[in-house]
Amino acid sequence: MKLISINQSIQCRLWLFFVGFCLTAPMMEREVRAVIKFCNVNKYFGQHHVLRDINLEIKEGEVVVVIGPSGSGKSTMLRCINQLEKISSGGLVVDGFHLDEPKVNINLLRQEIGMVFQHFNLYPHKTVLENITLAPVKVKKMDPAEGEKIARFYLQKVGIAEKADAYPSQLSGGQQQRVAIARGLTMKPKIMLFDEPTSALDPEMVNEVLDVMKSLVKEGMTMVVVTHEMGFAREVADRVIFMDEGRIIEEGTPEHFFKEPKEERTRLFLSKIL
Amino acid sequence: MTNWLDVWQRSDQFFSGLAITLEISLLALVMALAIGVVVAILQVADNPVTQFIGKWYVEFLQNTPLVIQVFFFYQGLPSLGVSLSEFTCGTLGLGIYTGAYIAEVFRAGIQSITKGQWEAARSQGFSYLQTMRHIILPQALHVALPPLGNQIVNLVKNSAILSTIAVADLMYKANLVSAETFIVFEVYIFAALLYLTLTIPLSALVEYLEHLVARGYH
Repeated sequence: MKLISINQSIQCRLWLFFVGFCLTAPMMEREVRAVIKFCNVNKYFGQHHVLRDINLEIKEGEVVVVIGPSGSGKSTMLRCINQLEKISSGGLVVDGFHLDEPKVNINLLRQEIGMVFQHFNLYPHKTVLENITLAPVKVKKMDPAEGEKIARFYLQKVGIAEKADAYPSQLSGGQQQRVAIARGLTMKPKIMLFDEPTSALDPEMVNEVLDVMKSLVKEGMTMVVVTHEMGFAREVADRVIFMDEGRIIEEGTPEHFFKEPKEERTRLFLSKIL
Repeated sequence: MTNWLDVWQRSDQFFSGLAITLEISLLALVMALAIGVVVAILQVADNPVTQFIGKWYVEFLQNTPLVIQVFFFYQGLPSLGVSLSEFTCGTLGLGIYTGAYIAEVFRAGIQSITKGQWEAARSQGFSYLQTMRHIILPQALHVALPPLGNQIVNLVKNSAILSTIAVADLMYKANLVSAETFIVFEVYIFAALLYLTLTIPLSALVEYLEHLVARGYH
């Protein structure tokens, strides 16, 4: 009798373990799900081959920094993610949307992807507050009062709540870029794309923008950042990607990258900019 | 001086003509603005068919005389079995003609807006037409207002041509009074002054609008 009960309890535990595994395994998988997946992506501008066989997976919550010389295709790759550029061949899946299929509802996907540009691209005829609330109200059909509340929250977060009623032309470059980030965040995006967000800024304004970006990293935002700010890459990137001539030459953790890069081309690039 | 008195005695005729000129100008203006926006968008849209239609609309109407276009509506259409009143013909002719010029003004305005504005709006999920309406056109208007003001004043002045199809506008009445009284100089000077009472406030209005949409640009 006693033996059986021991046996049973072992069996029981085994069962429990098995059931528990079955329940948690998909969750674990979901946690590391790829939100962006490039599969043999090629992109041509006319005859010019700008992206060559790009294979890349970016997971939820991951911060990926893309570096490389100008003309290497890094901005183009970034712009493919929200289809500001269309890929020429290959597969690209972003948040479950298959961008290689012709019938994809791109405006729906774009609502979930915030983008920050080198030249800010704020709407000059709108105040800071209007810049931020325009898309939530017109595209997402958010209640205007609700939109304003959220906009003010994010303006506070990027540290320029007092500029809500100013026009973009009255702000410094760093302030404009922080408004642009707030504009992206108010859409509650799943992914934020940054296309050289500090390249057009005066040096003393770079850090105010990087600080806002670092706070996003802490909150677990999925971010793809094209930048020349190696300090930022080293500090917050989960993964660094080096591109040249339309190819991904090397990828790895920041430690790997800045201590012992494998490829000669990467070493050459880093030696020039560090 | 007696000539001036004769003209002034018939001033109610001039004023009734002025009212028609104002009415027809306003109707034609609304029409021209609507045509202008649509044709400008046809031209800048990323579609060779609409571009072709827009371009030829503009080329055809800008490069033929307004008088002939108006005659087409007044005398050409009846031969095709469509009869319209002088007033309708005049409004159509003037609106369609000015629409071509205003389309060019809007097109230039739209094309002056940087690609970055398009990209920012599209990246937020705005559709093409939403981007046009909320982002591009308001900024294009800022660029287009001064030349648009010129076109509006031109429209009012060009409306004088409608007297040739017997629209009872200011020019028509001036011709009438001149024929009745054999007074030429004073009659047309008076008519010109009355045209100025329309065009000068219009110019001022456009200037005021320029000031209004200039917010944000310093």
